[in-house]
Amino acid sequence: MTLLTVVLVLLSQIAQVGGQVLLKRGMSQVGKTPRRTGPIFWGLGGGIVLLTVWFGLWMGLMQKLDLSLLYPFQGLSPVLMVLAAGLFLRERAGWRTWLGVALITAGTVLVAISVPGGSH
Amino acid sequence: MGPFMTTTKPPSAWYLNPYFHLGLNCVLMAASELLLKVGATKQSGIAAPEWLKGTGLTTLGSGWTIGGISVYILAFVNWLYVLRWIALNLAYLVTSSVQVLIALGAWLLLGEQISLLRWGGIALITAGIVFSAQASAQAEEKL
Repeated sequence: MTLLTVVLVLLSQIAQVGGQVLLKRGMSQVGKTPRRTGPIFWGLGGGIVLLTVWFGLWMGLMQKLDLSLLYPFQGLSPVLMVLAAGLFLRERAGWRTWLGVALITAGTVLVAISVPGGSH
Repeated sequence: MGPFMTTTKPPSAWYLNPYFHLGLNCVLMAASELLLKVGATKQSGIAAPEWLKGTGLTTLGSGWTIGGISVYILAFVNWLYVLRWIALNLAYLVTSSVQVLIALGAWLLLGEQISLLRWGGIALITAGIVFSAQASAQAEEKL
């Protein structure tokens, strides 16, 4: 994988996780009184924009890369979710979570350096 | 739970069973990615500038891509039903199997060659998702 490919994959994952979070935040305001149109608009609108960016980048990459090479990177979304919670909510992760993050990171590196077929 | 639910127990019919739908969700997610991959591969050879192809827009010209998007939307609706009855962390735990389903599908249906190193990486990622399911579910609920 080239550096540009890796950057695009990471961008697509960040857009996906960001989009999911924004969409959920927007949806959680729907039906509440008093109605707060601002958060609903920015949540749903921003969520849809980011998920569109994710889908476009994802399909762009899918034209060049094997599915068995690209899809494992979806495993980064729980890692990004945990990182975002640490960054924005100051949530501290326990040992199970760190083990999970370490396994996903190691696995992603193995997939990224793997070539099709053979014993590599 | 939605405002119109009058019972706290899931319906007893097998086709409304939440665990059946959780399993179905894994199959739908895998099917959607496989369809999208076929659509992307079919459109990868068309004459268009590289930057335009990079936006994924040109892949919309294939019926396979449209099929993949349709199945993805179906999976999304199905996921909302699952989450009505099943806690997010348990649902995350089970959907980690999508990693394996997609690798198997890419190998058996699309004929992709998967090296031992790549299988090993996919196994580590799947295990990692299982270990971090609880934390990522909590994060998603709070963020």
